Amino acid sequence: MTLQQTSTPALGRPAKRRDNKRLWQEMAMIAPAFLLMAIFLITPFLLSFWTAMTNQPLVPRPTPVRFVGLLNFERVFTDPLFWTSLWNVTRFTVWVLPLQCGLAFLTALLLHQKLPIQNLLRGLFFLPAITSMVVVCVIWGTLFQYPSGPLNQIVGFLSGGTIQPIDWLGDPNWAMFSIVLLSAWQAYGFQMIIYLAGLQGIPEELYDAARIDGASALRRFWHVTMPGLRPTHVFVLVITTIQAFKLYTQVAILTQGGPNESTETVVHYMVRAGFEEQKLGYASAVSVILFVIVLLIALLQRKLLRRFDV
Amino acid sequence: MSDLVLTQPASLAIARGNGKRSLRIVQSLCILIIALVMISPLFMLLIASLKDDRFRILADMGSFRAFWVSDPTLSNYKEIAHFSGELAYGRYLFNSLVILVATVVSGLIVNSMAGFVLAWGSLRGKATLLALVVALYVIPQESIIMPLVVMMSRAGLTDTFAVQILPWVASPLYVFLFYQFFAQLPKELYEAAEMDGASAFRIYRSIYMPLSLPALATVSILMGIESWNQYLWPTLVTQTDYARPIAVAIATFFGQDSIYWDRAMAASVLMMIPVLILYLAFQRWFVSSFVGSAVKG
Repeated sequence: MTLQQTSTPALGRPAKRRDNKRLWQEMAMIAPAFLLMAIFLITPFLLSFWTAMTNQPLVPRPTPVRFVGLLNFERVFTDPLFWTSLWNVTRFTVWVLPLQCGLAFLTALLLHQKLPIQNLLRGLFFLPAITSMVVVCVIWGTLFQYPSGPLNQIVGFLSGGTIQPIDWLGDPNWAMFSIVLLSAWQAYGFQMIIYLAGLQGIPEELYDAARIDGASALRRFWHVTMPGLRPTHVFVLVITTIQAFKLYTQVAILTQGGPNESTETVVHYMVRAGFEEQKLGYASAVSVILFVIVLLIALLQRKLLRRFDV
Repeated sequence: MSDLVLTQPASLAIARGNGKRSLRIVQSLCILIIALVMISPLFMLLIASLKDDRFRILADMGSFRAFWVSDPTLSNYKEIAHFSGELAYGRYLFNSLVILVATVVSGLIVNSMAGFVLAWGSLRGKATLLALVVALYVIPQESIIMPLVVMMSRAGLTDTFAVQILPWVASPLYVFLFYQFFAQLPKELYEAAEMDGASAFRIYRSIYMPLSLPALATVSILMGIESWNQYLWPTLVTQTDYARPIAVAIATFFGQDSIYWDRAMAASVLMMIPVLILYLAFQRWFVSSFVGSAVKG
């Protein structure tokens, strides 16, 4: 009855006015977010492409800024240090992926059972993830002490004194691996939470059915848990890879890219070019390249997810 | 189910229950030990911050004395808890807190309003805007930072609180998280309220907001951690003590010839406390709201 009444022509006009009012209200609600994103995200993003094709310095000079085309990109691609930094973050990614995701997966599996102190345990395992990277550097800075810091003591004890103390941050062969260790420790908590969420998303009935069929715990893990977590695995691997390619803070604080450029990373290279050498155009070119790398990884994720049909 | 249990001999059922229970306790203990190993570096930090001699801290590090302090003292904290001067860690902490609260509170409002309209609004370009949000999510902070610094310094915002808050309030990720959360609430809610003549903002504020505690908690934790731990951005846009956050201040310990580990440790503990409180306050909703939100995105 009421529905019929609202559609009579006599009531049409107020309804329209109300629609208009609603539209304005919705626009007012959506405006702040999109305005802020337009200013602080879209504008600098578009600017970075423009700046990358100029010779703009960080501090304005009297000489006019010139358009230089792709010269900055050419220079970046012919700088061996850029390739070193790209190689370093690739090395970092290859090491940190199995360590960090493995740790996250393992702790999530342990926490997924119904244990009496589950919440406490979850909180404890998540603690490193809420610790600021700067604080992590203070802690690991002491753990890495050479020659008699805690890590060297542990290595010496486990090897019965056969392995000489390692100069964790000072030895070019070890520096990146040390950064890997502290990074994996700091960040695995987030991936653990994502895995926990993924584990909770697997229907209990599937396990019951497998149990009735007489499947062992190992087979249940392999044929129920693993397939159920496929989208989670893809998601975790991709965000960890993207995170790894943006490696900066721990390197900037602990090693400044050294020793012998063994921990130089793409973002550190960019910040140095932009703010120490004041070559804004050049640094912008690096930032565009970084964006393209991240974009490619994100597209790969989409493709993988589609392929797994999830 | 209850029939099955009843047909079993009572003693057998109890024995089984006991076995399972002790197994669980053993399991819990094992996991607890792993957890303690994982957080032992943090415990060491706390202990070291209570020792007054930086050389002793390093000397103790190599042994079990790293986990024990016989004469705890707060002298390190007293040394750095100033509001002006060289060790104004009280001020840095305060700065970080101001930035955190301002970012999270305004971020919750701005992002949830946008997410709400994207989920339930009647705007014609809704689908396009949503696609834009998803696309913008790919852009990493690091790749917009160069031009952004120049923009901010031209706007005269260097060395202010605003420059550390405004750029990170609206975020594609959080708009999308809110959108996803709102979209999975029943349609009837919106329709019923609309029939009663409630405006869009009213529906958002009085019906959807009270229901979205899990989403608000999750976004608070994520935004809070992100804001608290910002490092690259504030190093580029702060030059004086005025608005310098604690993360940047702690990093300056590493620039010195000989690192004052005692003070660095105390400052680190100070830095951990607020974010720990934030996490403890909201963690109840944290994991559950991740289900289906993060992974499907």
